[in-house]
Amino acid sequence: MIADYSIGLLVAFASAGVAFFALMRETDGLHRLLLTDLIEVVTLAFIALVGTDLAEALILPGLVVGVSELIALSEIYRVKEGYVRPPAAGLQIEVMESAPGILAAILVVYGIVLSGFSGGAVAGLGVIFYFLSRSHSERFELIETASGYSWVLWIVAFFVFMLLPEYWFFAVMLAGSAILVKVMAKMSLIGTMRGGPDV
Amino acid sequence: MSEIGGSDLFVLEFGDILHYYTPYTTTLFVLALIFTGLAILSRPEGQVDIAFGGDAYYAKETAVSEMRFRRFMTIACGLATMGAMGSGDIFNFTLFASLVGITNVGIVAAVKSRHVLDAAYEYGIVAMVATLPLFGGAALILATTGTLSIPALAAGGFAVPPIGKALLALGVIGEGMAPFYAAKAEMFRAPGAPYVIMCSLSSLLIFLRVVEIAITI
Amino acid sequence: MLIITRISRFVSNFQNLVALFAGACIIISLAGILSLPLGFEEQQLYPKTLDPASSLYPYDRGGVPFGTTEVVVQYPENSPYAGYVTAYLTPLSQYLADHTHYLGTTIVAHPGGIIDEILYNTRGLDTVVETSILFAAFAIASYLFRREVK
Repeated sequence: MIADYSIGLLVAFASAGVAFFALMRETDGLHRLLLTDLIEVVTLAFIALVGTDLAEALILPGLVVGVSELIALSEIYRVKEGYVRPPAAGLQIEVMESAPGILAAILVVYGIVLSGFSGGAVAGLGVIFYFLSRSHSERFELIETASGYSWVLWIVAFFVFMLLPEYWFFAVMLAGSAILVKVMAKMSLIGTMRGGPDV
Repeated sequence: MSEIGGSDLFVLEFGDILHYYTPYTTTLFVLALIFTGLAILSRPEGQVDIAFGGDAYYAKETAVSEMRFRRFMTIACGLATMGAMGSGDIFNFTLFASLVGITNVGIVAAVKSRHVLDAAYEYGIVAMVATLPLFGGAALILATTGTLSIPALAAGGFAVPPIGKALLALGVIGEGMAPFYAAKAEMFRAPGAPYVIMCSLSSLLIFLRVVEIAITI
Repeated sequence: MLIITRISRFVSNFQNLVALFAGACIIISLAGILSLPLGFEEQQLYPKTLDPASSLYPYDRGGVPFGTTEVVVQYPENSPYAGYVTAYLTPLSQYLADHTHYLGTTIVAHPGGIIDEILYNTRGLDTVVETSILFAAFAIASYLFRREVK
């Protein structure tokens, strides 16, 4: 066990060195953004090396921090380079007209059954696919508000756990469904972020 | 072990994560609280450009939506700094430091200027890759000692590897960029005085806090 | 030119900031390799126990639903109800556990289980901060996006 951990650390430190060397040599803005992914993976490797249930639970925050900073940075990059509109109106294929409804419905239902963070991701994937293939006319701000309220519900669930631990069952269900709505709303917004008149 | 922060004044318990306040961290906490209050109350400065060689000058307008967004980010940054000051758990502290980093980028990214956006992008990349030393250091300390709680580590009996502390400190430098004041001057060209000051203050505070953590554990 | 002038000129250009930080990280990585081997502490919180015969493998931590189970937490006195979430299975996951051997592949996504215990209950504040990071990052992205559209 002791030897295994040190070997794992050796590999992780070596890959961190290689990844940072690549980042040091790179000067192009977009390539730097792509190289940060290489570094995020090594971060997760460091956490995973601990190999307990706690490590497994800590990977989720580590992953989310990387992904959310990537969202913000890519938007900053887009604005600073002045890329405003997508070049074309999207793909015009027959299957993109008929499939999205069915696929999105299946993914959303399965995501709600799963609930929690991964359920939100699955359901969000379905909604992204739907919005990407269809033209959208939904209210951007409305989805954002739903996401904000579910974040508040999540905080409420946290305080129930801390102050009234005997209602743990209520708190688990509240947290699970709040984070489902939150992640799904956030991901579906990505699907609508293509510019267009109605956002 | 050495107690540079003094004895605990107040402990807040959230399950496995404790928030504790010593005289040292309370001072930092109150500083962050005062600045957050000032940021809420104050109005943004109006910048004036003077044309060289003449009497003409232009006043730069700050749009209301931009002002509101930057104030929101400043308040979030202040709350994150306050959280980082009291946090008694290493991983929780690294998460608060990441939140400080992303809100710092947000405060400057709202400015409509190519030059400021360039700077914000570079800081954003640094803040993003700084999660490796931050989380890596926390994971290393967890693996070698079996706990993440700062009071438990401070109680002694654990051999915290120096490399873990070094990673943690480097990560906080990356998130706050505290020693890079020379480069940080770029940010001060952005209009809106109280909000930009919050960037500097928060990075200074989390840096002071990580020094305390590195010495205590 | 003085060496200090060159250094300060290099540092003052923010285009070099990433390279500077990456260089510092390479140095620390080398120091990390030199400090090996590091001992692994065997007394870990929330240890993993594996039982391939269980239908909840690899997340079987024992206990019956609506009862408690043994969880190695840092401060047991702060979480008197630790263990209830670990043992809980939704009716659907109970059905899957009774009839298949593969619930372990999907249990993380269902309410209940050891990961939910850590994420929601004992280390709930981590998740609160984590979702706040997502919230802040998304606020930046959507602000920039909507300003462009207007």
